[in-house]
Amino acid sequence: MTALGGFLWLISFWLIGEVAVYFTALPISSGVIGMLLLCITLALRGGVPESLAAAAQPLIALLAMLIMPGVVGVFFIAGELVGQWTAIFVGLVLGTLLSVVTTLWLLQRLMRGHHAE
Amino acid sequence: MLSEPLVDRLTDTPLFAVGLTLAAYLLGMALFRRLKQPPWFPAILIAALLLAGFLAISGIHYTVYQDGARWLSVLLGPATVALGMPLYQQLPRIRELWRPLVICLPISASLAALYAVGIAKLMGASDDVIASLAAKSVTAPIAIGITEQLGGSVALLMGALLITGVAAIAFVSLVTRVMKIRDERLIGFALGLNGHALGTVRAFEIGPTAGAFASLGMSLTGIFTALLLPWGWRLLGG
Repeated sequence: MTALGGFLWLISFWLIGEVAVYFTALPISSGVIGMLLLCITLALRGGVPESLAAAAQPLIALLAMLIMPGVVGVFFIAGELVGQWTAIFVGLVLGTLLSVVTTLWLLQRLMRGHHAE
Repeated sequence: MLSEPLVDRLTDTPLFAVGLTLAAYLLGMALFRRLKQPPWFPAILIAALLLAGFLAISGIHYTVYQDGARWLSVLLGPATVALGMPLYQQLPRIRELWRPLVICLPISASLAALYAVGIAKLMGASDDVIASLAAKSVTAPIAIGITEQLGGSVALLMGALLITGVAAIAFVSLVTRVMKIRDERLIGFALGLNGHALGTVRAFEIGPTAGAFASLGMSLTGIFTALLLPWGWRLLGG
């Protein structure tokens, strides 16, 4: 039952995120705000409480399943995107190649001084 | 295929959609292991194909399924918050490498979005489509929030995430071979930054160091993009 307390932590931080978005009109999702606040809280506290770990770990492991309903949707919008698939596909694949090259090249130059331990 | 009153009865509660999702997910995972875990065909894609196939054959409308599956989707909020825990656990690593990260992350994470958006725009993609592609390198729970902010389609985003993840895995392995990069920290970070959760899973197969740096790259890219992309979008008048 320790996980229940941890789950309440997670829901509370999400709700705090909602309140923050309501008052500031920030274009950021409440989940991301809650995540940052949780990270800051843990850093100030100096450790992860057992109940939080018990709720967070299984939830993170289930992320793939939680996004499945959205993934299934892609097979039902194919018709709306006729004529744009080439642009989408080339943009994604070529764009990813370019950004992989940029990332690796940049990191290689920047990390020259930081040798692996 | 199923009679209409029966479908109505079954989809009256969310349990049918939730059960369907669980079944497809477990079956997809089992098939993925059977196929010896091919990196180009992730378990989540197998599961989604199974589920879409079942909906198409049984004649259940996607929106009906989606409505019931909201009981699962609603957990995405607390699950995103939960990512704050591994982020906290990675803080020592961020401190150790803060200088290269502070320079590389904003440039790479911005370009990851800009390259794809730019190319798609040049090739004549509509504004809705472009709004759905912008978060293509961000881990799904965060990317969904961003795409809703930009007014894109979450379904198309999901397709974009799959293509991007698979492409990033292939290209990182190709480019590191060409550039003779063997540092697991670099390979992992590039996988997480460009290939979100799919790249991170691949990095853990390479080794624990690559995996740790991939999760670091994935979370930092997610946060950076979530904080800045909606502002940039407003400025560009998207």
